[in-house]
Amino acid sequence: MSAAGSIRIIAIVGGSAAFLIGASIFLAAIGRPPLATLSQMVLYAFGDSYSLSESLVKATPILLCALAVILPARLGLITVGGEGQLYFGALTGTAVVIALPAAPMVVLLPAMLLAGAIGGGAWSGIAGLLRARCNVNETISTLLMNYVAVLLVNYVIYGAWKDPASLGWPATMMFPPAAIVPSVFGTRAHVGLIVGIAAAVVLHISVTHTRWGIALRVLAGNRKVAAMAGFSFVKQTLLVMALGGALAGFAGICETSAIQGRLQAGISVGYGLTGFLVAWLSGQNFLRAIPIAILIGGLIAAGDALQLYSKIPSASATIMQGLLFVAALGASGLAGRGTARHG
Amino acid sequence: MAQPLVMMSSIRKQFGPVLANDDVSVTVNAGEVLALLGENGAGKSTLMKILYGFYAADAGTIRISGQPVSFSSPREAMAAGIGMVFQQFSLIPALSVLENLLAALPDAPWLQPRGSTKVRAALRWLTRLAPEIDPNRAVRTLSVGERQLVELAKVLNLDARVVILDEPTSVLTPAETERLYGFIKTLTSEGKAVVLITHKLADIAACADHIVVMRGGKIVDEAPARDRTPGSLVEAMVGRGVAGSLPPPSSPPTDVPLLQVRGLSADIQGRKIRDVSFELAPGEILGIAGVSGNGQFTLAESLAGLVPALAGDVVLDGVSIASRVEDGAISGDVAYVPERPLDNAVVADLDLALNLALRDVRQLDFFPDRKAAFRRAHELISRYDIRPPQPTLAASALSGGNLQKLVIARELSGRVRLVIACYPTMGLDVLATQAVYREMFRQATEDACVVWISEELDDLLSYAHRIAVIHAGEIMGITRREAADRRTLGRWMAGHAMIEAA
Ligand SMILES: Nc1ncnc2c1ncn2[C@@H]1O[C@H](COP(=O)(O)OP(=O)(O)OP(=O)(O)O)[C@@H](O)[C@H]1O
Ligand SMILES: [Mg+2]
Repeated sequence: MSAAGSIRIIAIVGGSAAFLIGASIFLAAIGRPPLATLSQMVLYAFGDSYSLSESLVKATPILLCALAVILPARLGLITVGGEGQLYFGALTGTAVVIALPAAPMVVLLPAMLLAGAIGGGAWSGIAGLLRARCNVNETISTLLMNYVAVLLVNYVIYGAWKDPASLGWPATMMFPPAAIVPSVFGTRAHVGLIVGIAAAVVLHISVTHTRWGIALRVLAGNRKVAAMAGFSFVKQTLLVMALGGALAGFAGICETSAIQGRLQAGISVGYGLTGFLVAWLSGQNFLRAIPIAILIGGLIAAGDALQLYSKIPSASATIMQGLLFVAALGASGLAGRGTARHG
Repeated sequence: MAQPLVMMSSIRKQFGPVLANDDVSVTVNAGEVLALLGENGAGKSTLMKILYGFYAADAGTIRISGQPVSFSSPREAMAAGIGMVFQQFSLIPALSVLENLLAALPDAPWLQPRGSTKVRAALRWLTRLAPEIDPNRAVRTLSVGERQLVELAKVLNLDARVVILDEPTSVLTPAETERLYGFIKTLTSEGKAVVLITHKLADIAACADHIVVMRGGKIVDEAPARDRTPGSLVEAMVGRGVAGSLPPPSSPPTDVPLLQVRGLSADIQGRKIRDVSFELAPGEILGIAGVSGNGQFTLAESLAGLVPALAGDVVLDGVSIASRVEDGAISGDVAYVPERPLDNAVVADLDLALNLALRDVRQLDFFPDRKAAFRRAHELISRYDIRPPQPTLAASALSGGNLQKLVIARELSGRVRLVIACYPTMGLDVLATQAVYREMFRQATEDACVVWISEELDDLLSYAHRIAVIHAGEIMGITRREAADRRTLGRWMAGHAMIEAA
């Protein structure tokens, strides 16, 4: 078997084992029966159609934000801006709804989604421009722009866009039905999931089988040689950052419209960061990000359900999520180190 | 008889389908220079990287002073007194020479007060090897030859008992080479052992005590140096007699210039060229001689249009090719073989097929035809004898010489009007060198201008139509081959400009 293949298997088996041990210790420490609780979590995540749909709801923005990390990573860029792009996309998408509340669905829905994607793309594109033109580190700039985007959303929901009818609750008006993203399969899961999976497949094919993919690989490998071949780092940086941001922005407006029904604080519970971790777990691979995002979505949904039914504090779900990431990243790191020198 | 210092027995190393070392046994004695010869891809670097703990052998044993050892990393090998200077360098370009040397010391200090004993320890070999290199210069501003010397100082700093040099002289100037020979002799007289991997018979004549010739992963000849003639070594290396030397390319048919370089000035991170002017007729070969690090890299890059010209112009057949516009590829009429191919010409972790296709990668279909790319790669690989012949291999897996062949194959196989070649035969064995020259001269007979930057003065004197000498970024003089003599060229190289006959 190829070295990469065996590394991956070692990482998956080792990571799962480490996670199970860590989670069991944690659950035992807070006085819960580990095995029973863990199997309950699996049921809460994927046990019936309702829990499955909740898991997919959570997985959707995570997947889109992961794609927003993977695409720039193919050019060697490390961005952590999913959260900010998601918020900014929510903001620009909502602006359309506020401007045209009475427009018919055929106009309003596409315009809103497009505005969300453009907003996210522009937000991320700024970081791309700074990187390409002024060599500003994209990791830092996207990180900082996260705070700005979140605060901008707060600014409008506490200010100009606050719905007077909401009695002081900081939120915009409810979206009209013409601005609600349709759900699929009669569940709460929405079109964003389909878009996310389709985007992952299209991006995967693009980077592996097209001339554009070659450009990204050459640019990531040797910028000097790439320039000789006529590939522009500036152009491609802008492109991958904007495309990635557009996906995260799209996730933002979908969350706002389909899940919350209006723009308010807390549209994302760390989806941007979770997406970043999913991207790393997938080894920056678009297709692999799909099942991983669904798995993590399941874990989050199960955490919510545990809190509801078993009165386990919601922080424990977050802690377990953290354990999972540490176990998986640690295992893949160790496996990689163990086999790296025999190639 | 005394214990041999190093004894490698029955070493085997396989890379996928390639058997790089097949049951190889060598011994290295203290106070001796072992010359390791062999064509490109013979397995010389691999064998020494195994001794250096960089690769683990698949089978075989290593003994040092009779003690069996097994190194799992270069760090352990270094602790056992084995040091190696790689063919492809491992210095960190952004750091200064001193910082690089300090970082390589086993107990690199966190704080480095100037003039401390640590700094003195880090610089002790450099000041002997190359006193003219300012330790505070960034490594990226050094020429290839200077980098080599810093690498060597880095290894010697570690008090190695066995010093492995992988083709050290292929990038050195004659003077630097002489100085290196001197050092090798000093080292052996101090009881150290030196392993010298080389393609140059001059190196062997100058300092080898014992010779091992490898081919196809095996040892094909082994003898004391005095028992072998250059002719027999070449034959052992490539397995047949060499074709003899090439006929010099015929003179260009016209002298209407095709390439005009006028007052070209450029600057790459302090490596400047100033006011370079010359004209070339179609089919004319201009050799550019000079001590490396005198602006050759900048000259090549600015002729290719890869760095903006600060002044002046490069005109090829009436069209300016200087200062390629942003995003523009290098002109399709120009073939460019840069120095240090790993940094400047290939993408190390991409496969051979893609690296071979880079010249016109932008003309590919949106969904490139992979089959066609592989067909073309197969064809180039067999025509240029790139080994191993696997288009799916990453370029980083090629031996130094085969990497160079890859670049030559990509750049010189098509039809171009200007060839810029910077040390094109660096690291190539005798046959491959001839193949490269034949390819370059074929371009000339097909009416391309050839600018050939080289340190092989003998080759320049036998094949170039005219020879220019560059010193400190300026052309010191240009002469026809027939009128060239070594003394004048030597004076130009030292910076004495041509005195124009009034
Ligand atoms: N890391 C690697 N992965 C795969 N193949 C390799 C690797 N390193 C070397 N090889 C192959 O092993 C063979 C021997 O390579 P090696 O670098 O030892 O040759 P060499 O004798 O040093 O040649 P040169 O004179 O060109 O430097 C070559 O066919 C090379 O392609
Ligand atoms: Mg080699």
